[in-house]
Amino acid sequence: MSRKALFILFVALAVALVPALSTVQAQSRTVVTWFVGLGTGTSPDQIDTQNRLVEEFNASQNEIELKINIAASNTAAYDALATLIASGDAPDIVGPVGFVGANSFADAWLDLTPYVEKYGYNLEQFPQSLVDIYRSDAGLVGIPFAVFPALLFYNKDLFDEAELAYPPNQFGAPYVLDGEEMAWDWDTLAKIAAILTVDVNGLTPDDEGFDSGQIRQFGFIQQWSILRAELNTFGGYEFYDASTGKVTIPQHWRDQIAWTHKGLWERHFIPSSTYEGSELFQPSAFASGNVAMARVQLWYTCCIGDLKSNWDLAVVPSYNGQYHVPVDADTFRITRSSKNPDAAFKVLEYLLGDAAGPLLQVYGGYPARPDLQGPATETRAAAFPSVTDWSIVPASLEYAAAPGHESDFPNFAKGMQRFGDFRTLLYGDTGKEIDLEAEINKLEADLQAIVDEVK
Amino acid sequence: MTTVPSSLSLNTTTMLPRKLSTLQRQRRWGWFFLSPWLIGFFVFTFVPIVVSLFFSFTNFTLSKPDQIQIIGFANWQKLFADPLAMNALGVTIGFALLSLPVAVGVPILVAALLNSKFLIAKPVFRLLFYLPYMVPAISGIFVWQAFLNGQTGWLNRLLRSFGLNPPNWLQDATWIGPAMVLMSLWGIGNAVLITLATMQGVPQELYDASKVDGANATTAFFKITLPMISPVIFYNLILNTIGLLQFFIVPYVLTEGTGRPNGAAYFFNMHLYKTAFLFQDMGYGATMAWFIFLMALGLTIILFSTSRRWVYYAGGE
Repeated sequence: MSRKALFILFVALAVALVPALSTVQAQSRTVVTWFVGLGTGTSPDQIDTQNRLVEEFNASQNEIELKINIAASNTAAYDALATLIASGDAPDIVGPVGFVGANSFADAWLDLTPYVEKYGYNLEQFPQSLVDIYRSDAGLVGIPFAVFPALLFYNKDLFDEAELAYPPNQFGAPYVLDGEEMAWDWDTLAKIAAILTVDVNGLTPDDEGFDSGQIRQFGFIQQWSILRAELNTFGGYEFYDASTGKVTIPQHWRDQIAWTHKGLWERHFIPSSTYEGSELFQPSAFASGNVAMARVQLWYTCCIGDLKSNWDLAVVPSYNGQYHVPVDADTFRITRSSKNPDAAFKVLEYLLGDAAGPLLQVYGGYPARPDLQGPATETRAAAFPSVTDWSIVPASLEYAAAPGHESDFPNFAKGMQRFGDFRTLLYGDTGKEIDLEAEINKLEADLQAIVDEVK
Repeated sequence: MTTVPSSLSLNTTTMLPRKLSTLQRQRRWGWFFLSPWLIGFFVFTFVPIVVSLFFSFTNFTLSKPDQIQIIGFANWQKLFADPLAMNALGVTIGFALLSLPVAVGVPILVAALLNSKFLIAKPVFRLLFYLPYMVPAISGIFVWQAFLNGQTGWLNRLLRSFGLNPPNWLQDATWIGPAMVLMSLWGIGNAVLITLATMQGVPQELYDASKVDGANATTAFFKITLPMISPVIFYNLILNTIGLLQFFIVPYVLTEGTGRPNGAAYFFNMHLYKTAFLFQDMGYGATMAWFIFLMALGLTIILFSTSRRWVYYAGGE
């Protein structure tokens, strides 16, 4: 190679190095990376708020530089984080993340106990039970941030049209149908859901000639749900017994599956997967105005769309006289492999502190911090004036189904996949003809095999 | 240019750098300009391939890279005992058998139509057949998902308007395969163009001579056109065979990763992806990747060995 060529090469390398050198200068502050996407946080308005808060944090001090990495979607986030961890480039902070997301990365989370003690973070502001759900064998892996109880969203217009009373927004209150008071339970919901289900000819499932192939309005949906949350509406259960290593699908879960199967394929008030994927449910099932009631977590307020003025909230129905409310809980976690855990904890304090208000608002979360609960309720009341009583949210937390539908068990991701496959089977056309008991027993056996894989 | 006196040159041959010939200089510059690609290939393709082979003999888990252990052939034994993997392989092979004739045959038919002297507005048709190829895969899948929806999809609305009772394409184990074959027709634009270009290159004298010998259009198509375009058919066959073994995006997006109904759309690469990335079992995932690679390699070798019997190269092989 000639001298001239070497000179050109040298100049090219020097030019390429200039930005790298300037980056090195900018990185004199400790860099903390924040990964978003395992839970909520990837929608455009959420991205804007998160970016703004990062800018505000960086402008507020000169010791730490916070960098945010937002995954393209929730699905993509799992691959992205797994790859980052495997390549030794794990982020310092991950969140907001629920238990499903966090359990998919077992052993990845840092015990925060030493940092809570070192920096005097006040855990006493939270109920002890809320703090305890973040304690595991690895220690305290999270600090309470947002909770999302399941609620019954209902469309007032559709109830008015059918001349039905609204479902109750108080726990213990009855429902009145045709002048008769009855318990607000899943059987009552099934009754009114059938009345609210209408086919293309305006007929309901109880009318002769009802066309289940051309339904235009549904009574009820478990929207954006996972099977374990649906099962927990009939009561939580530790289906994996760590002491015996045995998996059991309890009777109340079998009852819940039977109830769903009947609603889907006999009474037709629950939409099948085909309907869920149809134009009827755009932009989403409940927001389309074609579903009368949706059991969904509080985070759904993020995406209620054009239904802002004509919906309200009711309590999740009871089963055998007991209420069981599935509750999602999200927070930010620090990874065990963080190279700067002290700086990461400072950022964590910021996210749970000054940034918590705006973040909770865009995430649709109910604050775990008591001092934020009042303002959060006021904000919601202003944003959604059609909701009669927001005290339903803290009241629902008192009936949280335990253990939660996201609780950990061995071989978590694979087991959750198996639950998901069962839901696909149930809600798809395949669900019509299945032998329900046999399929539930198969689910139980498969789950046993899955947990046994990692023993 | 300075001329060095021969006497000086003789005395200092060991001191001066050896003068390169033009060919050598060009070769060095050639390597220099190729080096970005070569380095990129080595770092981002060759090394990962070798590493993935190594992973296939380990228990490597993405979220626990520090706990990696060599486990010999355990992953390979697990693969042949894994009912999900074997079912997924069956789905993949079944779909390939259904899809391959369409993927190879339809471009030939469309190219033949576009090559017809009786067709007017050929550029418009060429454009129309090529356009779907330009649509990003994910967008196309969402369009087809809405089009094939059993309740509100346009296809079923159309079929119902004729008094037919159409299937629930995406929820019926019998029909989801044909539905995906239908969707794959959107991807034939490139094959159509290549086939058409080859057809247009068939010498006219061959057709003229066949006319003299009394051959009709059908005979000319089978006796002249098909043999003359056989290298392109072979090319499409190889690409489609490999592509079908790697079939992933369509079923994954279409079924939201579930492979529904009843696993009828659960392809081998979906199982691979879930194992490696969702369950983070990268060791077993790498084993599956190597298995499907070896399968594709075997099929390609078989196809190449048969090509001598039916592929015609005008200039010899």
